[in-house]
Amino acid sequence: MAPKKELQLAYGLVAVLLVVGVLSYAAFPAKTPEVPVRLVYKVVAGKVLFDHDTHANPAGYALACADCHHHPSYDDDALRACGDCHNLPPKDAEGRQVPDACLECHGPEDPEVTEASLVNRADAFHAQCIGCHQDYGAGAVDCNACHVQ
Amino acid sequence: MSDSKKFIVSHAPFWHNGSSVSERHFNMIAAALPAVLFGLTQYGGPALAVIAFSVSTAMIWEMLLSAAMKRPQTVTDGSAALIGLLFAMLLPASSPWWLVLTGTFVSVVVGKMIFGGIGGNPFHPALLGYGILLVSWGDYFDFNEALRNYDLGFDMLYPLWSVKFFGPDAVAHFSAWDLLAGQQIGGIGATFGIGLIAGGLYLIARGFVRWEIPASFLAGVFVTAFIFHAAAPDRYAGPLFHLFTGYTLLGAFFLAPEDSSSPVNFIPMLIYGAGAGMLTMLIRNIGVYVDGVVFAVILMNIANPLIDKIRPKAIGKVA
Repeated sequence: MAPKKELQLAYGLVAVLLVVGVLSYAAFPAKTPEVPVRLVYKVVAGKVLFDHDTHANPAGYALACADCHHHPSYDDDALRACGDCHNLPPKDAEGRQVPDACLECHGPEDPEVTEASLVNRADAFHAQCIGCHQDYGAGAVDCNACHVQ
Repeated sequence: MSDSKKFIVSHAPFWHNGSSVSERHFNMIAAALPAVLFGLTQYGGPALAVIAFSVSTAMIWEMLLSAAMKRPQTVTDGSAALIGLLFAMLLPASSPWWLVLTGTFVSVVVGKMIFGGIGGNPFHPALLGYGILLVSWGDYFDFNEALRNYDLGFDMLYPLWSVKFFGPDAVAHFSAWDLLAGQQIGGIGATFGIGLIAGGLYLIARGFVRWEIPASFLAGVFVTAFIFHAAAPDRYAGPLFHLFTGYTLLGAFFLAPEDSSSPVNFIPMLIYGAGAGMLTMLIRNIGVYVDGVVFAVILMNIANPLIDKIRPKAIGKVA
């Protein structure tokens, strides 16, 4: 049996560390910065680590926000999460897949909605990444240069 | 029958030299502090949260289990605190609280207490906790993903990940000194090689860790990495890179030489260490996992009782 003094010391240490731990978790919550540094996309072909900072930073490729975040193009402040629109719901009775985000502004019968050919997020990103890499002859185009386990 | 006197023990009373199991644990904690403090300076508050929460919850689990099993409180021996600290050192700084809480539960309760407490555990408790959580919530242990919002001014890709999927060219810019000086991402207490080596040498000098296991572990990593690199230099990184990345140094000095899960005889210690080092490299180079230290040491923990059978013949014979 441990001496009483040692036990008291251990209890005190536990209490202090627990308080420090809980307070630190409360004070430093895991939050996503407004402009991401890197992003990880999880798709069937394997995870893709996208270096947002290198693409957007003036010291990097200096791409403008609207080069990738294409809608709504008239207002950079209104950049929305890609998955808001590129997130196709199950087909409705007429075989259409209209994301809820589109209906915030468009009516359900709006031709811009009914005739839109939206793709899901993974396909949109894929086209965005590889399309840009091919257009500019820079960046990876081989599957396993981006998709890893 | 020989009448030569082999060993003479005087009568009681004996003088205790003052060493104790708690002294060993506190020294191991002290030896780990340089690497831990470096992690704190790099990752700041979130790292402090993980470390403080991990150490405190590990001690709480031990206290609760001791009380539940109506056994004497053993939390004062420092074992639970050491397990909590080592577990935190393996984690990325962004680990959520529930992951830490679950990890210390598995480490202390499943890894140690249900085997009867200190000295009874067949695996290193912190490694068992880490291993079980790794196969349960792997994404939280993917350093690239876990630390995606950090920018510390150096290449923020996990070196072992880069070399596994993109070959040695992708890590050619890491010098051995950069890696030793902690210019790499990884576990909170696993990246500062200089601190880990200094702590390890202190433990060896004080006799708390036998030199055979760290030396043979590092030799196993070095030789196996060298063979892979010599056979296919365009696919496998060199031995120095593997010595200073991932959990290699933490494993060599703090994880592999754990009391009850590692051998005590000379030859078995060499086999155990070299085997763990070799398995580490096999898992890294041709296995599924990016780092192999954790599972390599756990596998050698399993083999430990068998390996430790290799020992000098006892003097005399059974009547």
